[in-house]
Amino acid sequence: MGIDILQGIISIIIILGLSPLFAGLVNKQKAILTGRIGAPILQPYYDLQKIFKKETINATSSSFISRISPLINLVTLVIAAAMLPVGFWKPLISFSGDIILFAYILGLARFFQILAAMDIGSSFEGMGAAREATFALFAEPIFFFTIGSISFISGFTSLFDIYHSIELTNISYGVFIIICSISVFMLAVSECSRMPVDDPNTHLELTMIHEVMILDNSGIDLFLYQYSSYIKLFIYAILEISFFYPFSQQSYLLGILIFITGSAALTFVLGVVETIISRSKMKNIPQYLLFATAIGILNLLIYTFTK
Amino acid sequence: MSILIDLCNNLLVASFVIQLLAIIFVFNKNNRTAMYSANIVLLVGLTLGLASTLSSALFSSAEISTESIFLGYIRLDALSLYFLFIVQLVAIPTTIYNFSYLQHYVEKKRPIKSFVVFYIILIISTQLIVITNHAIFFLVSWEVMSLSSYLGMILEREKEEVQRGSFYYFAASHVLIFILYIMFFFLHNQTGSWLFSDYHLSFSTGIVVPTIFILSIIGFGIKAGFMPFHFWLPQAHPVAPTVLSAFLSGVLIKMGIYGILRTFLFIKPVPEWCGWLVLIISIISAILGVWYALAQHDIKRLLAYHSVENIGIIGIGIGIGFIGSANNLPAIQVLGFGGALLHTLNHAIFKSLLFIGSGVVYQNLGTRNIELMGGLVHRAKYIALLFLIGSVAISGIPPFNGFISEFIIYMGFFNTADELKNYYPILMLLFAVGLAFVGGLAVACFTKVNSIMFLGSERKEVKHFKTSIYDNISLGILAALCVVIGFYPQPFVGVVNKVISSSFILGNSSSALIDIDWLYFTIIFTSIAFGIFILALIKIRIEKKYGRRTSDAWGCGYNNLNPRMQYTASSFADELNTIPQSVLVYHKKFEVSETAFPLPSKFESHSKDFVDSNIAMPLFNWLKSMVAKLKYLQQTDIRYYIAFILIIISIYSLIAFLWV
Repeated sequence: MGIDILQGIISIIIILGLSPLFAGLVNKQKAILTGRIGAPILQPYYDLQKIFKKETINATSSSFISRISPLINLVTLVIAAAMLPVGFWKPLISFSGDIILFAYILGLARFFQILAAMDIGSSFEGMGAAREATFALFAEPIFFFTIGSISFISGFTSLFDIYHSIELTNISYGVFIIICSISVFMLAVSECSRMPVDDPNTHLELTMIHEVMILDNSGIDLFLYQYSSYIKLFIYAILEISFFYPFSQQSYLLGILIFITGSAALTFVLGVVETIISRSKMKNIPQYLLFATAIGILNLLIYTFTK
Repeated sequence: MSILIDLCNNLLVASFVIQLLAIIFVFNKNNRTAMYSANIVLLVGLTLGLASTLSSALFSSAEISTESIFLGYIRLDALSLYFLFIVQLVAIPTTIYNFSYLQHYVEKKRPIKSFVVFYIILIISTQLIVITNHAIFFLVSWEVMSLSSYLGMILEREKEEVQRGSFYYFAASHVLIFILYIMFFFLHNQTGSWLFSDYHLSFSTGIVVPTIFILSIIGFGIKAGFMPFHFWLPQAHPVAPTVLSAFLSGVLIKMGIYGILRTFLFIKPVPEWCGWLVLIISIISAILGVWYALAQHDIKRLLAYHSVENIGIIGIGIGIGFIGSANNLPAIQVLGFGGALLHTLNHAIFKSLLFIGSGVVYQNLGTRNIELMGGLVHRAKYIALLFLIGSVAISGIPPFNGFISEFIIYMGFFNTADELKNYYPILMLLFAVGLAFVGGLAVACFTKVNSIMFLGSERKEVKHFKTSIYDNISLGILAALCVVIGFYPQPFVGVVNKVISSSFILGNSSSALIDIDWLYFTIIFTSIAFGIFILALIKIRIEKKYGRRTSDAWGCGYNNLNPRMQYTASSFADELNTIPQSVLVYHKKFEVSETAFPLPSKFESHSKDFVDSNIAMPLFNWLKSMVAKLKYLQQTDIRYYIAFILIIISIYSLIAFLWV
C-alpha cells in the first residue's frame, strides 16, 4: 500500500517535471528535420520562467472566470495525470470506472477554457472557443472507440487495468491494439493542438485554435495555461506509449526503459509528422477526426468478427 | 417503529391540509398580501411534507412498509416516497422564487390570484399522483395536474405566443390521458382491481405485457418528452411563467418517468426488446435534444430542449435496467435504474436552477433572446456563479451532481457488457459513445449559453439589473444541492439503492451501486477544490509581486472594439448546426450586396423542429381537414339529429342482439 502511493506520487512528479522537456524534444526534432538548428531542448522551461515573471494583464471586460480558469486547468490536468500509469507503477488514483472520470475531468478543463476565452469578449477568442467546442465533440468518440473499446472487451474499467489487460499474444488482438494506438495518436494530435489540426507556432489569429483562446492572457495566467498544455501533451503521449508495455513481464526497470524510449520515439514521430504534413483547412478537421473514429469502429468490428 | 410511521403519516396529512389551506389565503383583497401569505403557507406545508418524507423509512435504516393506508387509496412505497421527495424538494425553491417573480406582476397591478391558486393545486395534485394507489384516483390527479398547469400557463393570456404554446401543452396532455385511460382500463380488465398493489402481471402470457408496456411508453412518454413526442415541450416551456416552467421541466415531466417505472413494477420482468426499444428512443432523444438546443436563441426554449436530452439520459438508464430485468441480473438493474433515478433527482435540481436563473434575467431584461444579453456577470456576480454551477452540472461534468448519475449509467454499460458477453460489449460501447457525444454537445451548448448571457460585454445596454433576496435564496438552495450530491454522493446513492432493492428486483439484490468507490470521488473533488484554493492564494501573491492591471482586449491593431463585434450565439454554434441540417431544419439566409460600395448586408438563421414541422403539424392539419369534411352532417335541422340518434341506437341494438 505504502509503496504504491509512493510510486504514484513519483509518477506524478515525473509527468509534471518532464512535460516541458517532451515539448522541447518535439520542437528540436522538428527543427533538425527542417534543417534548422532550433531552440535548445530546455527552451520550454526558459519560456515558462520568463512568462512567470511578467505582469498579469486582464482584459477590461473579463470577469472572475478568466481569473479562475487557469487554476482549474492546471488542477484538473494534475488530477488526470494522477490516473496514468508510468512504467508498471500503479497510479495514485486507480479505481474501477476511472476511465470515465479521466475523460470527463478533461472535459472540466475544456469547459472553463472555453468560458475563459469567451470571457474576453473579443471575436478572436470567440472563434477559437467555437472551434474548440466543435472539434472536441468529434474527438470524444475516438477516445471511447479506442481505449473504451479495450475496456469493453476486457471488462476492466480502470485505465491501469485496461492497459494491463493488453497482451500481444494473439495476432488479431495485436493488430487491433496497433490500430487503436494509431487512432489514439490522431486523437492526441487534435487534443494537444498539434499539426495537422492546429499549428502551435502559427502567427495568425484567424487560423489558431488553442493559441487564440489564450491570446489575451499574460503573466501567471499564461504560465498556467502554457504549463497545462505541456502536461496535456505528455498525458496523451503516455496514453499512447502505454499500449506498448509488455505487461506480462513485470519488471520496473523494463517499464522505465520503455517509458523513456517510448517517449523519445514519440517525439520523433511527432516531429516527423509535423515536418511532412502541413496544416489542414479548418473545415477539413471534422473529416480528419471522423476518419480516426471510423478507423476505430472498423477496427473494433473486424476484431469482433474474427475473434 | 409503528409510532414513527404514524408520525410520518400524520405529518404528511398535516402538510397536505396546510397546503390546501394556502388557497384560502389567496382570497385576500390585497394582491400583495394574498400572494405573500398564500406562498408562505404553501411553503410551510411543503417543508412539513419534506420533513415527513425525510423521516420516513426510505431515509432511515428501517424497512419500508408496503401496506396501503387510507382505505387503500394511498401507499407510500419506496418509489412513491422517492418521487414525493423530488417533488417537495424542488417545489420549495420554486415557491420561494414565486415571491420575487410575482412581485413584478403585483407592481404592474396585474391579476395573479388565479395563477397562485392553480400553482397550489398543481403542487398538491403532483404530490398526490406519486403517492396514490388507486388507478381512478391517479387518473383524476393526473388530469387535475394537467389542467391546473395549463391554466397557470396562460397567465399572460393576451400574448399570441402564450395562447399557441399553451395549447400545444393542452392538446398533448389530452392525447396522453386517453392513452392512460385505455391502459388502466386494460389493467383493470386483466386483474379486476383498481388498486396498484393488486397489479401483478409478472408472468402473464400473450399480448398483455407488450400492450401495457407500449401504452405506458406512449402515454407516459408524451409527458416525459421522449423524442417523437417531445414537440410540445419547446412550445410550452418558453411561454409559461418562469416559476411554472421551472416546476414543469424539473418535476412535471418526471411524472412520465414515474409512470413508466410504476408500470414496470406491474409487469416486471419485461422482455428484453422493451429494454432495447427504450434505449434506442432515449439515445435519439438525448442526441437530437441537445443538438436542437444548440440551435436555439430563446433561453427557455433551449432549456426545454435540454429537458428532452436529460429525459433521454434517464431513459438510457431505464433501458439498461430493463435489459437487466429481462436477464434477471440484479447488478445491471441496480446500476441502470440507479442511474436513472439519481439523474431524475439531479435533473430536477439543476433544471429548475437554470430555469429560475433565466427567469431572473428575463425579468430584468425583458427578453429571452440570448443574443441581446451579455456581460451580466458584472451586474449580478452571484446569479452568474450559481447559473454556472447549474451549467456545469447539467453538462455532466465533475465535480457536480450530473456527473455522478452519468457515471452510474456508464457503469451500467460496462456491467451489461461484462455480464452478458456475446455481442453486448459492442452494442454497449455504441451507447457509451452516444452518451459521451451527448456530453460533448452539452458542453458546447452550455459554454455557449453561459458565455453569451453572462460573459463579455453587454450587447444591449442594461439599464438596471436588480435581484431580490428570494432569487438568491432559491438559486442558492438548488446550487448547494448540486454541489452536495456531487461531492458527497454516498447518502443519495444509498437511498436510490434502497428504492431499487426494495421494489424493482425479484429475489436478491446486488451491491453493485454501493460498491462503486464513492470515497474516491469525495477525495478527488475535494482535492480539486482545495488545489484551486491553494493555487489561487499563490497566484494572488505572485500577481502582487510582478503586478497586475487591466487593459483592453487585443483587437489586432484596431482600437474601437465594441460589444457588437463579439462572437454571437449563432456564430458560436454555427458549425455544429450546419452538420445535421436535414434533421434540424436549420436555415441560413445571407443577403450580401455585391456593389462596389457595400450596402448593409443581412444574415438570418432559423431553426425549426423536425417532428413539429414535418410530422406532428401535417398530421394534425390532415386530421383537421378530414374532420372538416364531416361538417356537412352538422345541419341546422333538428330532424337530422333525431335520425342520427335512431341510426346509432339501432346499430347498437343490432350488435347487442347478435352478441347475445
